[in-house]
Amino acid sequence: MGRSRGTAVASGLLCAALAAAGCGLGPGEGVGEVSLTVTRDFGAERLAAPVAEGARESDTVMRVLDRNVSIETRYGGAFVQSIDGLAGERQGGRPYDWFFYVNGLWSPVGAAEYPLRGGESIWWDYRDWSASTRVSALVGAWPQPFADGYEGSRHATAVECRGGGASCALVRERLRDAGADLTAAGAAGAIRVLVGPWARLRADDDAAALEDGPEASGIYAEFADAGGGFRLQGLDEEGEPGRDFGFAAGLVAATRRYGAPPVWLVTGSSAAGVRAAAGLLDGARLRDRFAVATEDGEETPLPIPGGGPR
Amino acid sequence: MRSPFAYVPGSGPLQSASPGAAVFYLGALVAVAFLYSSPAVLAAAGVGVALAGHSAGADRAVRAALRMGLTLALLIVAVNALVVNRGETVLLRLGELPLLGRVDVTAEALAAGAVIGLRAAAAMVGFAVYSACVDPDRVLRALRPLAGRSALTAALISRLVPVAAADAARLRDASRLRGPAAAPLGRAALVRRLTAGSLDRAVDVAATLELRGYSLTRPDAARGGVLLAPPGLDRVRGFFKSRYDARFYAVGAIVLLTAIAGKVIGADGFHAYPTVEPGFEPATVVVAIVVVLAGLVPWRRGTPRRSSA
Repeated sequence: MGRSRGTAVASGLLCAALAAAGCGLGPGEGVGEVSLTVTRDFGAERLAAPVAEGARESDTVMRVLDRNVSIETRYGGAFVQSIDGLAGERQGGRPYDWFFYVNGLWSPVGAAEYPLRGGESIWWDYRDWSASTRVSALVGAWPQPFADGYEGSRHATAVECRGGGASCALVRERLRDAGADLTAAGAAGAIRVLVGPWARLRADDDAAALEDGPEASGIYAEFADAGGGFRLQGLDEEGEPGRDFGFAAGLVAATRRYGAPPVWLVTGSSAAGVRAAAGLLDGARLRDRFAVATEDGEETPLPIPGGGPR
Repeated sequence: MRSPFAYVPGSGPLQSASPGAAVFYLGALVAVAFLYSSPAVLAAAGVGVALAGHSAGADRAVRAALRMGLTLALLIVAVNALVVNRGETVLLRLGELPLLGRVDVTAEALAAGAVIGLRAAAAMVGFAVYSACVDPDRVLRALRPLAGRSALTAALISRLVPVAAADAARLRDASRLRGPAAAPLGRAALVRRLTAGSLDRAVDVAATLELRGYSLTRPDAARGGVLLAPPGLDRVRGFFKSRYDARFYAVGAIVLLTAIAGKVIGADGFHAYPTVEPGFEPATVVVAIVVVLAGLVPWRRGTPRRSSA
């Protein structure tokens, strides 16, 4: 009798300890809403209606994807091979595969290993990766990562004004409205937003990656030195020049080096270009875009569509 | 006591077949287990090799291998469930564990582990039947023209390891016979004694091999080979052809061809991730039936039961 009571007490204590450690049966309680976007060709075409649904404690990026679309996986369920029948393969000699981003950032871990905490914006895109194997950050998840952070924690945002003038104030206002915690430039761990003409921004190490092409920066644009000024050039999916913008063109793009905080660039060939770029900072104009160029009030998603295989 | 996996001579078809035929037949059944992930076909491969062992009178080897294989399978299922978080159907959340990180036990990880475990169990039963029914000397003799030194090394190992195991058993028995009051025999002391005995025996074997001329080159220098056995033994090459060989080669080929054809037409549609898809098609049933029936090939009406069974 005494022995069975001892066993029951031990079992009860074990269950209590497991419950306290976050253990339980089934997928667990809800942790908040997450959104899912599925596109192809750098966000050019939506393949499924955007979804917003409640996530559970045990949810990962893969589980949310599997609940909402039909997928096939490889390598023991770790790698998404196809979504709704669109499979990773070579088309016209160029490699196409599925990539995912959470809060606008390329994930350091696989979809099956990425836990969700609620509030995340998940974006799957099917794209040509011949010019850049690693597009590490993009702008189309605005107001993320400023509003809710990334990789499980919230981060402050530091706006670094490099000759941006009034555009810096506009950028700060837009970020504050988006829910960002603004902090002083140089704050450790803060998301950096560099604002200013390219002639000034190019001195920054992170921004300078743009001059090394899409493979280094993940941005399909470059500024060409045109003798006394810089002209913005949009690149196509293969990393080749696709369109020349004028001296008044602006650019909003994001990049990230390894595990460092992401860096957003709000820049242009001139002050007018920077102003135009700052004006792009809202959800409607950035949605589903990897990067955006603007000229004469017209926005152009980057990379420039090159009419590759479909 | 003899190991359940030790070869016991017999007069059944599998024991009488030439080593090539027996290995091809058993290898085909085991190969199916490695080609397929479908639980139905894997189970059929396990049943097939177990039936082959039973038909050949190797029940003891089959039982021992099944015990070991199913234990290993359970271990694989448990480990896979703990280390693989993938899969849609979360059954149990164990929270954050040291070294493992976040652990979610999913139905898909359990199914994937069961498939790997089933494959391991089928392979173990297949190798157990091979070990119990195929004469290792004949296998080594068949391999000798291809790799003489390796065949000699394998022959020595196949004899010296059981001798060392028998030595260990005798030493343990001797230590027990000292009576209950005697100090228990430590593992280190046993290993020390066995190592010393093995080295003594190895020196004896080396001396014997030298005396019999194993280190000498052939007199016929043009052939440049190494004399591994008295020349008279070469005449026995080709002596062990069996009337059962054609049967085993044919059935092995049928099993392999059916398995490959089934694979091509989609008989192996099982997927564990992201959600379990059984992939149970008519072709899967056909492959499974062929594999199970193939296990009956070593059966012979009136086969005398072996003493080891």
